[in-house]
Amino acid sequence: MLNIEITPNDNALLVSLGGRLDTTTAPDLEKRLSTDLEGVTSLTFDLENLDYISSAGLRVLLSAQKQMNQQGEMKVLHVGETIMEIFEVTGFTDILTIE
Amino acid sequence: MKIIHGIKLGGLQQKIFNLMLIFIIALIGVYVTVSVVLQSNLSKIVQRTSEEQQSSIAAVSEQTMETAVTASMTKTTALQAYIADDLFSDVRTDVLTLQSFAEELFAHADTFPAHAFYPPDKANDGVPSVQMQHEAGVDPQTSEALGLVANMSEIMLSMFENSNRLNSCFVATPDGCILFADDRAGSYIAEDGSVYDFDVRSRSWYKQAVEAGELIFTGVELDAFTGIAGLVCAAPVYQDGKLVAVVGADIFLTAISDYVKTTANYGGFVCVVNENGQVLFSPNAEGTFKAELSKNAPDLRKSENAALGQFITESLKGSTGVQSITVDGSEYYLAGSPMPTLGWTVISAVEKAVTDQPTVQMLKSYDDISDGALFSYRDGANQATRSVIIATIAILLLATTGALVVAARVVKPIEHMTKRINSLTGSDNVFKMEKIYQTNDEIEILAESFAALSSKTRDYIKQITEITAEKERISTELALATRIQADMLPNIYPAFPDRTEFDVYASMDPAKEVGGDFYDFFLIDDDHLCMVMADVSGKGVPAALFMMASKIMLSNHAMTGKSPAEILTATNTAICANNREQMFVTVWLGILEISTGKLTAANAGHEYPVILQAGGKFELLKDKHGFVIGGMEGIKYKEYELNLKPGSKLFLYTDGVPEATNVENELFGTGRMLETLNESLDAAPEEMLRNMRRAVDDFVKDAEQFDDLTMLALEYKGDVVS
Repeated sequence: MLNIEITPNDNALLVSLGGRLDTTTAPDLEKRLSTDLEGVTSLTFDLENLDYISSAGLRVLLSAQKQMNQQGEMKVLHVGETIMEIFEVTGFTDILTIE
Repeated sequence: MKIIHGIKLGGLQQKIFNLMLIFIIALIGVYVTVSVVLQSNLSKIVQRTSEEQQSSIAAVSEQTMETAVTASMTKTTALQAYIADDLFSDVRTDVLTLQSFAEELFAHADTFPAHAFYPPDKANDGVPSVQMQHEAGVDPQTSEALGLVANMSEIMLSMFENSNRLNSCFVATPDGCILFADDRAGSYIAEDGSVYDFDVRSRSWYKQAVEAGELIFTGVELDAFTGIAGLVCAAPVYQDGKLVAVVGADIFLTAISDYVKTTANYGGFVCVVNENGQVLFSPNAEGTFKAELSKNAPDLRKSENAALGQFITESLKGSTGVQSITVDGSEYYLAGSPMPTLGWTVISAVEKAVTDQPTVQMLKSYDDISDGALFSYRDGANQATRSVIIATIAILLLATTGALVVAARVVKPIEHMTKRINSLTGSDNVFKMEKIYQTNDEIEILAESFAALSSKTRDYIKQITEITAEKERISTELALATRIQADMLPNIYPAFPDRTEFDVYASMDPAKEVGGDFYDFFLIDDDHLCMVMADVSGKGVPAALFMMASKIMLSNHAMTGKSPAEILTATNTAICANNREQMFVTVWLGILEISTGKLTAANAGHEYPVILQAGGKFELLKDKHGFVIGGMEGIKYKEYELNLKPGSKLFLYTDGVPEATNVENELFGTGRMLETLNESLDAAPEEMLRNMRRAVDDFVKDAEQFDDLTMLALEYKGDVVS
């Protein structure tokens, strides 16, 4: 299960994720972002409650990062140990702005 | 349903039939009840009306009769009384005339010479004549007044001759002589020719008249000579307060007696009652109204019959009303009419049974007519009842047959429909409208609905069949793809039977039909073994296609002799050039120089490899990581080198292993993975993978495998031959 909480604030968008972002749930997030990201200049992912991220989830983050590279900036907040390990293994630490 | 004579018990037919039957029975019940009630009411009304009519006729008739009887009786009695009284009244007038004449005579005695008088003469018998009689021992010739009163001879004779009621009229002197005017001279003379003595002053009329000092009537007495009932009216004559004569007249009551006797007809009669309440004249020989001329005769005023006593008392006082009184066991209408002269009364009696006879007769004939009518009515009613019963049975039979036919007509199309529906088999056999369903009612609608449903169902079946076929085709293709994918990966073991320096074993268990994981190992040349472990983002067909492309590119680049970093860099560039779907793949790629054990490897975002250096334990090799392939253009990958000594082992895996999850949502983790490996340090590659698989299965248990499980193990043995 994945809980997606999207809070728009002018051109900024806060996306809070909880649960598992995997093959099953990733398409949901991808669908939400495909519409909500329009005109957003500041995208923030809050992964405080995210337990697991699979390669499919990573792909969604990568897509978002690529889109934001063109229209603004993207940050990732509150990355837990498990998730950070995955980010490190997959090299995502190099392309994401993790704070 | 049980079938008897073509009728389904409990079926619609029977239900309709039952419904109709109940309806008919209810209808008949109401009909019969109404008929019976009406008939009984009518019967009652007829009976009651008849009774009412009877009683009313009786009442009216009785009343009418009573009125008629009353009127008639009152009138008749009054008339009788009047006639009877007239008799006495005439006598009274005659006597009063005689009295006043005698008074005149005595008042002017000087002017009248003595008149001659004669004893009775037999020759005068039967001829009106005046004759003298006297008491024994009295000499008429010496009588003072006799000569004077003899002057009345002519007037008395005339009076007698002119009246047909008088027996005689007379004048008596206080010295015991009397002059009679009558026509029975013979009766005063005895056989021997002598004249009977006449005891003048001892006669009751003489005594009563002298005593009363005025006109009197004697009671009814039997005549001294004839024995016939009669009475005497007498009046005294005074001269200067001194009795000088007594005048009188006597009458026989034969007329009254005869008349009274003739009334005893047709249950009625007339009787005469005197002032003492005694019945003087009556046609009755016995009973209450028996005539009795004795002084001791019973006084009806004091009768034990109180009603009668009251009636007689009132009648004597002058009342003339008609009363209904029971006497001697019979009911009588009694009417009284006074006779004022004597203070008597005439009583008319009519037996009520007689007066009521016409009423009784009328009632009887009415009863006959009424009974006849009632009988014919009852007869008619019975016939009507019979007709009702026959009609009821006929209706019942007709309705039963009708109900069966109607029910059958209703049920037949339904049965046909059921048969048709049951016989529908195969997708082409469609329920179609038929003529039998065209009933213009719900059955037609039902049939139309069935036909529509049937046609729709056939379409659906077709569609579903197509979809199923399509799905099966896809499934077949996917299975084929899975096999192709599996076939693409080296899967024949021992992979290199003639190479003793190393042993390599790998396996892949996709979570879905086709996965995104893959491994690869191949000899670039005799001395270089290339090993690949990769994981494509996502699952299914897209991942599989991407995986195929990646695998081919990686092996192609490897076969050109490039170093691992160069291979990854070149592959990344190629994939990024055409990757609209933003897919990526993590890759660990290593090239082992078989002769030396030198392992050159590069990691594009893949899991840490596990290394067992000879004599040591399995440990994660935290190697230098690059970004995933396909994620970002222009990434430069770096490579690293390891020297494997004979006995060293390498374990490669995708995230499906450490991220295998049990029902409690716990991850298998790299910790358990290392433990499993370290439990059997001597295990050959194939056994290593088998152990790992078992450990993961034990951990996951009933939870669903949702990621691919791909592993590769290498054992470096070195140049054991040399």
